[in-house]
Amino acid sequence: MRRPSRLLRFVVLAYVTALVGLPLGFVFQRVLARGLGSLWAALGDPQMDAAILLTVKVALIAVPLNVVFGVGASLWIARHPSRATRALDAVIDVPLAVSPIIIGLILELAYAQGGWFGSTIARLGWRVMFSLPGIVLASVFVSLPLVSRQVIPLLREIGDHQEQTAATLGAGPVRIFFTITLRAITWALAYGVSLTMARVIGEYGAVLIVSGNIALVTQTLTLNIGGNFENFNAYQGFVGASLLASASIAVLVVLSVARHRERRRHGHLTA
Amino acid sequence: MRRSFKGLAVTYLSLVVLIPFAALVTKAFAGGPAAFFGAVTQRESMDALGLTLLCALVGSAVNAVAGLATAWVLVRDRFVGQGLLNAVIDLPFALPTVVAGVTLYTLYGPSSPFHVNVTGTWIGVTVAIMFVTLPFTVRAVQPVLESLTFNAEAAASTLGASSAHVFRTVTLPVLAPALLTGTGLAFARAIGEYGSVVFISNNLPYRSQVASSYIYSLTTSGQTRSAGAVSVALLVIALVVLTACGAVSRRLTHGRR
Repeated sequence: MRRPSRLLRFVVLAYVTALVGLPLGFVFQRVLARGLGSLWAALGDPQMDAAILLTVKVALIAVPLNVVFGVGASLWIARHPSRATRALDAVIDVPLAVSPIIIGLILELAYAQGGWFGSTIARLGWRVMFSLPGIVLASVFVSLPLVSRQVIPLLREIGDHQEQTAATLGAGPVRIFFTITLRAITWALAYGVSLTMARVIGEYGAVLIVSGNIALVTQTLTLNIGGNFENFNAYQGFVGASLLASASIAVLVVLSVARHRERRRHGHLTA
Repeated sequence: MRRSFKGLAVTYLSLVVLIPFAALVTKAFAGGPAAFFGAVTQRESMDALGLTLLCALVGSAVNAVAGLATAWVLVRDRFVGQGLLNAVIDLPFALPTVVAGVTLYTLYGPSSPFHVNVTGTWIGVTVAIMFVTLPFTVRAVQPVLESLTFNAEAAASTLGASSAHVFRTVTLPVLAPALLTGTGLAFARAIGEYGSVVFISNNLPYRSQVASSYIYSLTTSGQTRSAGAVSVALLVIALVVLTACGAVSRRLTHGRR
């Protein structure tokens, strides 16, 4: 087999560098250009810090919810095929093909005042829109399939021989899950969790609609970055952007390790 | 225990996805079919949908070619930094869209260090779409290319076929289904894109406003029925494209066997 020509390699590297590498480098260049003193001052900005805190809070709620749902749904879909699981399998991927803005809109239509559940929620004294539950709901929606899309193909591929053997030997379902299933899917799960995390902390459009974008109260870090940028406070915006970009790089490292480990044992992970 | 989990899973899915979706469709048709079509075919809406489809088409087509080339280089070439390239491909999945949006605006906007200003044009929107859809084709084609054995290709070239001929008649047909699936997913993602597009597009109605921006402005100005109608139109387009890509891709796979 002939290796591809050097020209093709060069063109690909140039394309990916211009499209992805350049913007990423540019974020950090912008932040460091003013020196560490300005960076330190910008990091103390109370609005940004409140936004960071909110984003962390949302991630701490939404990511575990979707991991539990994702693993549970994957086990159900892969291990107990039926008409119901086929339907679930189809529905679960829907959020990936829907615009974040539409996701925000449909949550508003269901949960805002004047929406389907608006009056019920108000009567119970709860708040969903323009508060934490709405932001969590939007985050859960946008990242719903990211765990199961990694785990389902792997569960199907490895089959259930080991699980059945363990059951024959008298192990209960909980023990089987933790000693066999979880161990087999560890890296696929790590891959899915990282993608979920990245999506949750990076969500913009859906959260923009459901949160109301109130500074210090319902403004997440992505909204804070957008807001600073629109208010001609580009430097502060880039400082926030560099924090999120650093988080994405950490996610990429996990993805790349997970892909490596998984490929050694099984087939492939799809992003 | 299993039964209660099933109940929980279905409830979770219903509360998060299914019921809100039903609310959207109900809202979109609340004024009857005439109002629905009126909202979708309004000039501002048609301009936004047209621009969105054009940019999504160009962006995903460019990335179909670039993605194929990238997957090719990742699988069949060996060079220093290849692992880094492979990792960087996923960046658009990991990087928040708003970060991409403000960065692209600064790089290719009015204060561009390269003196290139594409804000408010379809080119700017397409560049943002190219950024966010880069991984789709690469990640769809890469595993197929890796599992491909070289026997058929080697046989063809031994028989005197040129490498371009081998690629067109032997390799490309095998990759076509995955290529199509990846490009379809990229297109579906592109027509709904917001965060990365909204800054560089400048959001000018009739000129550079994309569909998701238009839906956002309708939503925030309280015109939720029109917002619902345009949303349903956009979702139908995504669904049709994904279904068509899936069907053609299955037929291509089938025809080969």
